[in-house]
Amino acid sequence: MNSLSSLASNVIRLSAGNCMQYSITYQDKTVETDKLGYLLNVKDWQSELAPILAEQENIKLTENHWEVVNFVRNFYLTFNTSPAMRALVKAMAKEFGPVKGNSRYLFKLFPKGPAKQATKIAGLPKPAKCL
Amino acid sequence: MASFSILVTSSPYSSQNAYSAYRFAQAIVNSSHTLAGVFFYCDGTHNANRLSAFPSDEFNLVQSWAALKTHYQVPLLLCVTAALKRGVINEQDAKELDLDSHNLHAAFDSIGLGEFAMLQGQTDRLVQF
Amino acid sequence: MTDHTLIDFAIVNQSGPLGTANAQESLDMAVAMSNFGKQVSLFFIDDGVYQLVDSIVPDKIGRKAFNKLFAALEFYDIEQLYVCRDSLFQRHLSASQLSVDVKLLPHDQFASTLAKHKSVLVF
Repeated sequence: MNSLSSLASNVIRLSAGNCMQYSITYQDKTVETDKLGYLLNVKDWQSELAPILAEQENIKLTENHWEVVNFVRNFYLTFNTSPAMRALVKAMAKEFGPVKGNSRYLFKLFPKGPAKQATKIAGLPKPAKCL
Repeated sequence: MASFSILVTSSPYSSQNAYSAYRFAQAIVNSSHTLAGVFFYCDGTHNANRLSAFPSDEFNLVQSWAALKTHYQVPLLLCVTAALKRGVINEQDAKELDLDSHNLHAAFDSIGLGEFAMLQGQTDRLVQF
Repeated sequence: MTDHTLIDFAIVNQSGPLGTANAQESLDMAVAMSNFGKQVSLFFIDDGVYQLVDSIVPDKIGRKAFNKLFAALEFYDIEQLYVCRDSLFQRHLSASQLSVDVKLLPHDQFASTLAKHKSVLVF
């Protein structure tokens, strides 16, 4: 028992020593992020964080942005995956119709890529690199 | 005459599949057929670990893949996401992820699955090992 | 060169949902191919049929609950899911225990449906 528990604490110390820590501080709360500013824990997200994350992307959130951000977050919470572009367009079209379910509309709101930027603002993990 | 692409999803050494893939690749480049590329996915990404060391009397699969590229210009590509999860990482990603080392063999390119989709589209046959 | 009557990819799942990463990486591959404009059909045979069982909770044993994504495949234009009927029945399962709508195929039709695809991947 003793040797096992000392092994466990070693592992934790090692991983803490190896990784750089990044975080955002707001309203005297500190939230851990990765190097690019994506939240490390989906549950840390609150709507107050969205404008702060959006500012890092040079985006001022409008009602239309919020619609996508909330949609992407719900998609993740339901299917455990952030939608890639194609799926986002299709799912948005199903929910809001073709005017909002198209890539031109979404790119206008999130110029550097809706999949990338909307997920970040919604507090979701960074999408897989190979997509 | 046919064009081929190969998908390797098995690790070197612990299984025969990756060796068979290499032998199949050799057979293609030594025939009138063409080999458009070899793509490594799942445990196949271990084939790109340049820190693999084999005893001198055993076949060195990692070096052999690299030689295949040198002699026949066959692209050796791997899925960056599958590779990262297994600790096979290139210099740039190591820097981005604050990892203290990198081990991707220079003959291999760690890229997206989009390249695999292209390979499949360009060739008559895709063979998985 | 390319036979355009063939569907681009058949992805055959013969591994259980847990125990190896095969199921997750197979689904990653399917979704990625769809993102790059490829047509994809999914096949489930042998222990692969367990991947679709409704009650599986991978996150309880430290893995990602990748199987929640099956319900979203319509958004990825992956709508052909074929399950080997014999494999399902051998495991005392029925289609009602699966998380998504599938087509049950007897063994011989499973093979002939596979033959309508250009490339077959097995996980």
